[in-house]
Amino acid sequence: MTTSAPGTTQAAAPQSAPPPAPPRKPVRPLTRRPRRRRRGSTVLTVLMALMLGYTLLPLVWLFLSSTKNSEGLFSSSGLWFSNGFHLFGNIHDVFTYNDGIYLRWFGNTVLYSVVGAGGAAIFATMGGYALAKFEFAGRRLLFALVIGAISIPGTALAVPTYLLFSDAGIVNTPWAVILPSLVSPFGLYLMRVYAADAVPDAMLEAARIDGAGETRIFFTISLRLLAPGFVTVLLFALVSTWNNYFLPLILLNDPKWFPLTVGLNQWNSLANGGSGGTQPMYPLLLTGSLLAIVPLIVAFLFLQRFWQSGLAAGGVKQ
Amino acid sequence: MNRSLLTAATAAVLALGLTACGGSGTGTGGSSQADPAAVREALDKPADITFWTWVPNIDKTVALFEKKYPKIHVKVVNVGQSEAQYSKLQAALKAGKGAPDVAQIEYFALPQFAITKQLVDLAGYGATGLKDKFAPSAWSQVNVAGGMYGIPQDTGPMAMFYRKDVLAGLGATPPRTWDEFNALAKKIHAADPDKYITYTDPGDAGTGNSMIWQSGGFPYKVTGTTGVAADLKGDPGAQKWAGTYGALLKDKLLDTTPSWNDAWWKSMAAGKYAIWMTGAWAPAVMEQNMPQSKGQWDVAPMPQTTAGTPASAENGGSSVAVTAQSANKAASVAFAQWLDSDPEAVTSLNKDVGLFPATKVLLDDPAFRSATVPYFPGSKPNEIFAQMSQAVRPGWQYLPFQVYANSVYKDSVGQALKPGGDVPAALSAWQDRITTFGKEQGFTMK
Repeated sequence: MTTSAPGTTQAAAPQSAPPPAPPRKPVRPLTRRPRRRRRGSTVLTVLMALMLGYTLLPLVWLFLSSTKNSEGLFSSSGLWFSNGFHLFGNIHDVFTYNDGIYLRWFGNTVLYSVVGAGGAAIFATMGGYALAKFEFAGRRLLFALVIGAISIPGTALAVPTYLLFSDAGIVNTPWAVILPSLVSPFGLYLMRVYAADAVPDAMLEAARIDGAGETRIFFTISLRLLAPGFVTVLLFALVSTWNNYFLPLILLNDPKWFPLTVGLNQWNSLANGGSGGTQPMYPLLLTGSLLAIVPLIVAFLFLQRFWQSGLAAGGVKQ
Repeated sequence: MNRSLLTAATAAVLALGLTACGGSGTGTGGSSQADPAAVREALDKPADITFWTWVPNIDKTVALFEKKYPKIHVKVVNVGQSEAQYSKLQAALKAGKGAPDVAQIEYFALPQFAITKQLVDLAGYGATGLKDKFAPSAWSQVNVAGGMYGIPQDTGPMAMFYRKDVLAGLGATPPRTWDEFNALAKKIHAADPDKYITYTDPGDAGTGNSMIWQSGGFPYKVTGTTGVAADLKGDPGAQKWAGTYGALLKDKLLDTTPSWNDAWWKSMAAGKYAIWMTGAWAPAVMEQNMPQSKGQWDVAPMPQTTAGTPASAENGGSSVAVTAQSANKAASVAFAQWLDSDPEAVTSLNKDVGLFPATKVLLDDPAFRSATVPYFPGSKPNEIFAQMSQAVRPGWQYLPFQVYANSVYKDSVGQALKPGGDVPAALSAWQDRITTFGKEQGFTMK
């Protein structure tokens, strides 16, 4: 579909319809009806611009602050540059402070996010598909339990989780963070709803008649249809594991296993702590935070093209 | 930043830990096979101990220990500051494993771990003999719940930091009394509506408690292991502080802002606040975060009700405790004692780490008191701090669930810390929250 600037050829389109024919039978214009172009509402535009500013302002502030040294940070406006451009120096400091612990935290976060969020998305997809497409005893109860699980905040589960993991001997290991991340009740709920619509029953039946086993049906047919839902869940899980704070805070004691969130908060404590280190920590903290959000932005940019719905819409006549 | 989430979570964790109080608990108290002689011998036996602390550079002091006693290896772990660490410590102690041998615990949090017998009573290891080495205010903070549960590491006697340039511009001198303080508050705000005499952080319970303490208040009392009294409504000191700050807030002469963030540091550096009343540990952080303000600040004693009778309070300060879970109790006690009382160690804690001492070794040392600090050219801040340390009002006690009480300060008192807020009524709301929680945890609340 072509788009054209408002007020150009679109207005003339109706005239390209055939001239009025003798009124023997009503003739529908052959060309498409002109698409009604909605004029942008000024109020809405202004509102959206305000929202955009509101959303982007903290990021702009974070970026600008990352370009400053400690002195500039507390003596200049937060929304403009200060004396000198210290971003690269700050990045260097971030990566070298304390023998490069930041890089280690970064790696940990990537590990927890990729394994945790990837696993969570796969499990949620399989579980949601099973709940949506298979009839079995206790299906409704199971689903109700899942819905109930969404309403329990992670904070309330942290202590029981700790006690459980302590008995299992996996406190202070990466498993302590990865295992709970693999469970995503919200993802399961989303995938159940999505699978119910996106995978036509008729298609499954056809495949079964052709002799395909359930495993093969899932991996070769259903999974492709579920891809947009899968990516959605993956993105949600990615964001939540990337930002996971309280669970690793409670379960990990060794700074070597910290994710970025806990590590950066530790730097925040050092910046404000009751005693001074030799290095001003604020620039490190801000630059470290800036670098920490880059992968999430990249993930969104790359994954959003898979994030389209209705691949199979119209594939089967219902 | 994550404060609100953390406080909620901390409350959850602490509630869990404290419910165990009154029951048998997991700890043994450690005093069963305690032996002072074993502590001395432990220094020459091989041992691995883990030390949880968040103080940067303290590994320098620990390195001195390892050099002196090479058979003991100390693993220094920074697991996060204050509430973050206490949540973790509480979980590990509750779980029965995973806790460190030695942990840094602030005075306000010590009773909660002591009362549930999760720490070693150091009295059985002969640590009470160290009494004369410490400032009385610090010593009283580690003697709680009928035992001695930590060795004082650092203290934060409150002093008044003031901006020389702001006061000089008005021809003013640092206020000696609260009356002078109020007069100066008017003068500063009248001269420049963007400037305030000081600020009060609606979320900073620690400083709120310290101000009550400095005003002569003793709202919390603990008797035995279950009797707790929290009286903020009737406590004269608490009401006095509420009156002073309430009046200033009514006249919009006090700024209310969350502290310890970049905006606050910016205000501090720009001279928005003429006065900062805080613990003597402040110079190290000031130098770190406001290097450009060097020379603009100076130190004076706290304002008093009547001039000439000094009274101060503690703001912050930590002890070092040994957990009941420790497999190497004797070595851990020996390490804790050395770290906080050995002259070589305390000098390093002050010079390399920036902690304000709890020991008389330094507090009474003329060289320490008259030392110059580069950030305060031309003055001798340690002299003022040492005076303030001696002037700390004796007798202050923290609640056995002070960490929780502090976490709800923001929702009660903090709500009134705004222009026109009713601070006395808010204190009473805070007291109700404390009493309700105490009862829920099985304490006998009075």
